[in-house]
Amino acid sequence: MFKTITARAIVPVALAVTGFVIVCCILLYSLMKTDMINDAVHYETNLADTIIKSTHYAMLKSDREMLSNIIDNVGAQQGVEHVRIFNKKGLIMFSQNHKEINRLVDKKTAGCIGCHTGPVPTSSLGVMQQARRFKNERGIEVLAITAPVYNEPACYNADCHFHTAGQKVLGTLDIGLSAAPLLKTLSLMRSRMMVFSVMVLILTIGGVSALLRRNVFVPLQEIKEFTAKVSRGNLDAELPGITGELTDLANDVRDVSLKLKRAGQELEVLRDGQKTLNKKATTEADSP
Amino acid sequence: MENQNSQPHQINDSDIDPDLHKKVTEVLGNIRRLKAKAYRGFYIIAIFMVVSIGAVRDFDFLPSFSPHIRAILGRPPSSNMISAALMLYSFSAIILVLSRMMSASTHYSGIAHVGYLAGFYFFYHFSGALNENFLAVFAAGITILGLESYHIWTFCMEEIKREEESLEDLSNVYRKKRWIKG
Repeated sequence: MFKTITARAIVPVALAVTGFVIVCCILLYSLMKTDMINDAVHYETNLADTIIKSTHYAMLKSDREMLSNIIDNVGAQQGVEHVRIFNKKGLIMFSQNHKEINRLVDKKTAGCIGCHTGPVPTSSLGVMQQARRFKNERGIEVLAITAPVYNEPACYNADCHFHTAGQKVLGTLDIGLSAAPLLKTLSLMRSRMMVFSVMVLILTIGGVSALLRRNVFVPLQEIKEFTAKVSRGNLDAELPGITGELTDLANDVRDVSLKLKRAGQELEVLRDGQKTLNKKATTEADSP
Repeated sequence: MENQNSQPHQINDSDIDPDLHKKVTEVLGNIRRLKAKAYRGFYIIAIFMVVSIGAVRDFDFLPSFSPHIRAILGRPPSSNMISAALMLYSFSAIILVLSRMMSASTHYSGIAHVGYLAGFYFFYHFSGALNENFLAVFAAGITILGLESYHIWTFCMEEIKREEESLEDLSNVYRKKRWIKG
């Protein structure tokens, strides 16, 4: 496939380094992406807990106006795509989007189905299981979590309330933040990693190629040209100075060519001597 | 290559020396065997491509395990652990292939690598992280199998060249004998 020594030396190195750098970059990107999404989910879980704690007193006092006001203010925050609280039946009680209040949530959608797969809904889920990613109706990528509002003694002992002690979950807070900043960071990180990989590849392959060319290929080419000249009979050809481990080979070739040259010269001298002797013998034979 | 295609017809003569005929047959057999071995790498890459197409589709054509079997199998390893194993595997496999290139070894373990890579696809599939990590396994596979195929291809081509040279020598011997016979 590759006949030149240059290609045979560089192609496997280039293939191995390129492949391994690509594999490492993809794995690193995947790990960093997972870590960043986990961080974003933890941040959102904390935000949901803060909202539940902020609305706790208003819920105990059944102050719907204050609760609605808190939800509206949270929903007005930049990057918050939706925030709503719905009861156990899935009826939306409070939302920053007033149009969806008193509507039922589809229990088969992402975020609900995690608890509502079986006949009896699960009352507690892990942090990552509460999170979901989807595109909303405006085409914005949203990272949302659902946080259950648990029943407490203060809830079922309060005068104004009708919750029984056996009811574990009273409702659910659903909050969704725009994933645009996260995606922008990931895209930036991906571009930087690609630039970094290309730079590493150019440096590695370029460095190996340059060093091999300087120390191996150019001296080999010179030796090849020199031996070609010698084989054509040009014994006066000069071998340029070669350094490194190829010096021994170059010196041997030079010695062989010099010995060949000397042998040729000696042969020439002998031939001349023979001719002279022959001439002398002929002259002596011709003389009376 | 040209020699190999043209010489056997010239040598296959009735009055040929039996020893010479045996040697030519042996050389031609070696060339055929080496050619088959040289192309083996491409078939292995093709098998890996088929497995990768299945992985792109998240193995949706395979029946899923029942909850009972899943319970027996236990929890899959985390994707981080699989990724660390993949990185180690890629590194050691590349080093092994390069060392085989250095020692001019004829050992070829392409089919075993396809098995290991398919294992990585399945582990990622069961841990639910195949979509994010598909490209990593694919790039690792192409690199390792590409290096293996390149190594075996160049080795076989060199051997074929040597065999063709010996075939040329045998052809010259045959021509001389035929000329002597008149």
